[in-house]
Amino acid sequence: MIKASLRGLLQRKLRLSLAVFAIVLSVGFLSAILVLSATLNAQFSTLFSTINQNVAVRVEAGEPGPRAPRLTAAQVRDLAATDGVAAASPEVSAEGVVPYRAGDDTPVGTDQALGFGVDGRDDPLGLVALREGAWPAAADEVAVSAHTAEQARVKRGDRLKVYLPVLNEPRTFRVVGVVGIAGGRDSLAGETMVLFQEAFAQQTFYGETGVYAGVSFSAADGVSQELLRDRITAKLPSGFTARTAAEVNDEQAAAVSTQFDFFTYILVGFAVLAGVVGVFLIYNTFNIIVAQRTRELALLRALGAGWGQVAGSVLLEALVVSAVGATVGLSAGIGLGYWGEAALAEQLTMDPVPVVVAPSTVLLAYALGIVATMVAAFIPAIKASSVPPVAAMRDLSRPDRSLLGLSLTGAAFALPGAGLVLLGALADLGGAGFLVLLGGAVLLLLGSLLLAPLLARPVIRALGFVLGRGQAGRLGVRNALRNPRRTAVTAVALTVGVMMVGTAATVIESFKSSLTEALGTSAGVEVLIQAQLNAAPDGTQGFDPKALERVRAIPGVEEAAAWHFDAADVAVAGQPQFVFATDVAQAARMFSMKTVSGSLRSLGARELVLDENTAEALGLSAGEQTKVRLGPVERQYTVVAVYEPTPLVSGILVGPAAVADFNGPLAMQGLVSLDEGVDAAPVVAQVEQIMKDYPGVRVGDRQSYVEQSSAQLDGLLLGIQLLLVVSLVIAALGILNTLMLSVTERTRELGLVRAIGLSRGGVVAMVNVESILTAVFGVALGLALGVGLGAALTQALIRLKFATAITVPWTQLAAYLVVAVLAGVVAAILPARRAARLNVLDAIAYE
Amino acid sequence: MTTAAPPQSRQRAETAAARAAGVWKVYGSGEAQVVALRDVDVELERGRFTAIMGPSGSGKSTLMHCLAGLDSVTRGQVSIGETAVTGLSDAGLTKLRRDKVGFIFQQFNLLPTLSAEENILLPLAIAGRRPDPAWYATVIDTVGLRDRLHHRPSQLSGGQQQRVACARALVARPEVIFADEPTGNLDSRSGAEVLAFLRRSVTEYGQTIIMVTHDANAASYADRVVFLADGAIVHELTSPSADAVLDTMKSLDRRDGR
Ligand SMILES: Nc1ncnc2c1ncn2[C@@H]1O[C@H](COP(=O)(O)OP(=O)(O)OP(=O)(O)O)[C@@H](O)[C@H]1O
Ligand SMILES: [Mg+2]
Repeated sequence: MIKASLRGLLQRKLRLSLAVFAIVLSVGFLSAILVLSATLNAQFSTLFSTINQNVAVRVEAGEPGPRAPRLTAAQVRDLAATDGVAAASPEVSAEGVVPYRAGDDTPVGTDQALGFGVDGRDDPLGLVALREGAWPAAADEVAVSAHTAEQARVKRGDRLKVYLPVLNEPRTFRVVGVVGIAGGRDSLAGETMVLFQEAFAQQTFYGETGVYAGVSFSAADGVSQELLRDRITAKLPSGFTARTAAEVNDEQAAAVSTQFDFFTYILVGFAVLAGVVGVFLIYNTFNIIVAQRTRELALLRALGAGWGQVAGSVLLEALVVSAVGATVGLSAGIGLGYWGEAALAEQLTMDPVPVVVAPSTVLLAYALGIVATMVAAFIPAIKASSVPPVAAMRDLSRPDRSLLGLSLTGAAFALPGAGLVLLGALADLGGAGFLVLLGGAVLLLLGSLLLAPLLARPVIRALGFVLGRGQAGRLGVRNALRNPRRTAVTAVALTVGVMMVGTAATVIESFKSSLTEALGTSAGVEVLIQAQLNAAPDGTQGFDPKALERVRAIPGVEEAAAWHFDAADVAVAGQPQFVFATDVAQAARMFSMKTVSGSLRSLGARELVLDENTAEALGLSAGEQTKVRLGPVERQYTVVAVYEPTPLVSGILVGPAAVADFNGPLAMQGLVSLDEGVDAAPVVAQVEQIMKDYPGVRVGDRQSYVEQSSAQLDGLLLGIQLLLVVSLVIAALGILNTLMLSVTERTRELGLVRAIGLSRGGVVAMVNVESILTAVFGVALGLALGVGLGAALTQALIRLKFATAITVPWTQLAAYLVVAVLAGVVAAILPARRAARLNVLDAIAYE
Repeated sequence: MTTAAPPQSRQRAETAAARAAGVWKVYGSGEAQVVALRDVDVELERGRFTAIMGPSGSGKSTLMHCLAGLDSVTRGQVSIGETAVTGLSDAGLTKLRRDKVGFIFQQFNLLPTLSAEENILLPLAIAGRRPDPAWYATVIDTVGLRDRLHHRPSQLSGGQQQRVACARALVARPEVIFADEPTGNLDSRSGAEVLAFLRRSVTEYGQTIIMVTHDANAASYADRVVFLADGAIVHELTSPSADAVLDTMKSLDRRDGR
């Protein structure tokens, strides 16, 4: 029995190779993620062990940040005197120290821009070493890392403009030295590094000289990291912690790795989608193979094989297929992981490390491949085992089983699902509305997949009126209709991916059009100034609101409003929140804000206004008092007004006076309105000039603002579209697979139509029409579900005032349909060619 | 004769409907070589019902396939009407089948997705021609299928299915209909119905039919019976009785030493 099924496997290797491919894809993505994240961890561990190679113990403030405590020089000396300390390197540093490129005077664009203070002696821990020149010895001198010198295009003796955080302005320095990083590197991971005279750095970064953020210690021979840590901890001033280098390494490596989470999510998405679609493909393949082997299976049964043996033979086949697929997929994943690591290392100017394949990666890869295949092959195996021995003697054609049971089950999922979706969209359920909606969406999707065979008939018939031109086309339509289950299962591989894209596209399009509309109707905000953030906004990134004075002086500018934003450790009424600080009277004017209660006037200190939804969530109303905590400062505020939220303005607004409690004085956003009939473009250019002193601040017109606001969403859409491409590829393979099997099954019919005069072209057209109909059905179902869900989600957002109208992205949807047709055509190439090449005589020959 | 007779069959009655000249058909090579047809010369007249008979493996199907342009010949010439079949491209053969030839096979004659009526009209639909309503009605009535037109093949008996196949071959009025054991899968009564119908279409409407058969009784419906043995034509009878055909077959079997 085992031998028989293995032999059968070899004979069907072409058909099964597609099932294998589906497994390869999904296992490949999964193992790529696992390999990549393990390798990246190894990469960053290497990186941080370079940084900390001579460090045994590091002392830092327990809670870092602008308000963190500092160590005095005396405290550093005291700690350095601890028994077992070999050397101590106190730290003066800041982030956001951005050098400007010589020549075009633009900030060097990088995520990591570090500034240090150095005391003029060589680094006792050997992390940085002078390559040429000298350490900075005066306030107007700096040294830079070799990578920075290259990026900023400066050499020793040149002038270098550097933006200084805290001071919030650029200054010009003289480059007196160039340093390299331990291990002969130009940078650790692509960061820029400017080194200042210590006293200047302390004064600039910390506001006073003689203080340090932390200290790194190396240990004397024979003193373990742990021992030294414990000794130092005993002498630490409060608010500081001491950790061993090993602890620091792990922590830093983990923190950096999370930056690649987005990447990981996309790959996980690929793996899951490829897995789901793969299950459909495998299910279909085994189902058709079992249908074709009915006679053979019946003969086995007639010869005395038990049903368990028959089912077992199918499952054994599935096991072999999945093992092959998982092995190939794992290798592909390792390759992909290697490539991804190399690409990232290249981008971050780091040396690549060898790939890391953990045993758990191998285990998971095989588990996914085998479990997915076995699940997919289970129903076909049961079906195979239920073939009665008498089928060996009967004609092959079995009547189509009724779709009733399946459809009833589908309806039992889909109807409550649709109900929940409507409930979530229309009823006022607060935050739970989205959960209800998403739960309903899952039910609706499951139900629709089960209903797909029932839907296939009318939909394909209707589509057939459009596509089924000519006799060949009509025959193609009939073929697509003849086995609705098969057509549906083949088509729905597309549905899942398309539904995701359709939902996202509808929500994003609605959001964009709502935003455009809101910007258009509110008193004409024409120019927007926006800070690019690389940390939670707290007032330390952005521009000085004083710069807006110069903006207001530009001819044609009507009003310019500064918006500050604090989202770092903010609580209102005891709940984590974020707050905006601006002139509320001006905001009310510029954005046509509508009052629900109270009055929207300029706010004094300890006054706030908030939108209806937030007010409800926090249980606040106009006239009430509440606690507002900004970092360590907690004060009692009065609610002055409650307003209606719009896609542009929502949340808690405080007056400019509150900015004093923010971590920094910088504004995140500047909104500029213009006099009637003034062209925005020249104003944008002038504002850009003014904002040049603030690296990371962008200036644009209204449209660029809409695009920027939805940039993240567009990124999400792009990610989902990539998912769609993957599912499209697998689904096209599924269609190809089904058509190949159908062509084989219908050899005799093909011979017959050829014998009575259908040309080769006609046969190709027939197969094409069937393929396109299958693809279009899958996509149409997906789009219908996607647009429906997207509209429901948007409706829920409208209720929360995040959007104003549902906009269906018709052109995008049309593009997806066109892509589906193309996928259908491509998938049909091989089967159509095989069908057209059939020898008429072979096709009609009797067995 | 009625007015609904296919016109071309009478106009060019003098030329043969199908002709084979010095046809050889060899399968395989070396040890495995099989000579299925050896130097066959045969001319099949218009407006007549010709049966091809012979023992199993004698080359009947092969001859028919070669005549119909379904298979290529190793040597020799085949023509249908005035069209030389030998050397035609696939497109040429498709056009030939579309315009000049009708087929009735032993089984699996019909597309399962189409109704009886759609199956009958399929060749015309493929060729993009409209059926002549009077002729269509005549054919349907002759095969007696009027009340079965909207059934699917799976809802028809074997005999009814074969009658649908006959109607399909007739409705396009091809120059020649090739039938390979059209009654091979039928019981004697259904078989007789189909044969009577084929006979009528020749007698009344002047259709040309070439039929391969095993069955002496079936052959007795034909105007002419050509006997094949070992790939060569060995004998022929005109307007034979079933007994005469049987006798000839017996003598052929004896010749084969069986
Ligand atoms: N494709 C092929 N390859 C090799 N030999 C073939 C092929 N087709 C037919 N033959 C051989 O050619 C010879 C004639 O076959 P053909 O099918 O014409 O016989 P037939 O008279 O129709 O027989 P039957 O009455 O059994 O249908 C036989 O010996 C057969 O084995
Ligand atoms: Mg034969």
